Amino acid sequence: MNTDARFLIVDDFSTMRRILRNLLKEIGFNNAEEAEDGAVALNMLRNGKYDFVVSDINMPNMDGFALLKNIRADDGLKHLPVLMVTAEAKKEDIINAAQNGASGYIVKPFTKATLEEKIEKIFQKLSGQA
Amino acid sequence: MNLEPTNSTAAAINGAGPADEGGAADDGMYHRLGHLTRMLHDALRELGYDQELSDVRANLPDARDRLSYIAKMTGDAAEKVLNAVDRARSVQEETADHARRLRMRWDAVEAFTEGGTPPGSRTTPAGAELVQETCAFFAALDKQADATNAILTDIMLAQDFHDLTGQVIRKVVNLAQTLEEQLIRLLVETTPPELRKKPEAPGLQGPVVNAEGRDDVVTDQAGVDDLLASLGF
Repeated sequence: MNTDARFLIVDDFSTMRRILRNLLKEIGFNNAEEAEDGAVALNMLRNGKYDFVVSDINMPNMDGFALLKNIRADDGLKHLPVLMVTAEAKKEDIINAAQNGASGYIVKPFTKATLEEKIEKIFQKLSGQA
Repeated sequence: MNLEPTNSTAAAINGAGPADEGGAADDGMYHRLGHLTRMLHDALRELGYDQELSDVRANLPDARDRLSYIAKMTGDAAEKVLNAVDRARSVQEETADHARRLRMRWDAVEAFTEGGTPPGSRTTPAGAELVQETCAFFAALDKQADATNAILTDIMLAQDFHDLTGQVIRKVVNLAQTLEEQLIRLLVETTPPELRKKPEAPGLQGPVVNAEGRDDVVTDQAGVDDLLASLGF
């Protein structure tokens, strides 16, 4: 895994952003920034250089689905891996995320092992495509 | 959920057959719905439920504030735990680093005490035992540090309850808001102006869950002290 990868954590709850940031650090990714909703995240993504997005779905202003669609519709961002980490556990939401190009989907509450496994899988897939 | 009336629904309400479907059926349905609504309004007023509805409505903002208060307090608690986890991890790493440095030195001591002619003659049996035990202790500390870190990670992850419960609370607050708006509309339509009562002064309220815009409460101990001081206490 590329431990220099720059992550963007998108979640409206500061507690969850902090938990994710600490977990990423434990896994070996020290380079992470935070956004409190999809709109803020999209702005950051368009004005910065990120390698990986970890996003909640249920957020004010712009939810995770809208963020995902915007990323996939943007030529400069469409190849960015997006891992959804959410409490939304309905099948239709998971299917919706997959159909809109989510790279992975984790349901809260989750473990460090799950997060690590999904990220590793996404990186493996990316390196296979390269 | 789709609440749009369908032609078949309208027909069923009106008792009309397929030949009557269309605009006339819809008109009949809406007329009946209006009639039912008026009957409900009258019944509520005659039974005195308008006051009960008014009380329910009056309590909804307070219920919303209390739920928001719970969300805030649980959020603060989660942040405190995360801060404590960060501090504990820092102390743990410091201790583990120090132990690793000491272990290297004690390994050298162990190697020295095992030497000599004959081997082991550089110390007493009790000394050799102490050195071995100390080296084993430092070797075990690394594993214990890993175990402690795993526990700290579990504690940190458990704080996700704030996110999960917070989302539920937010939905309930939104639901209460919608309910309140609907009740207000119902009350405005059912209660004659002369019967609308002024709200009574509330009793003891417990913790202030939303002090914003209120000048009849204090928000912290400094406010209490200032108030008492201004009264000469």
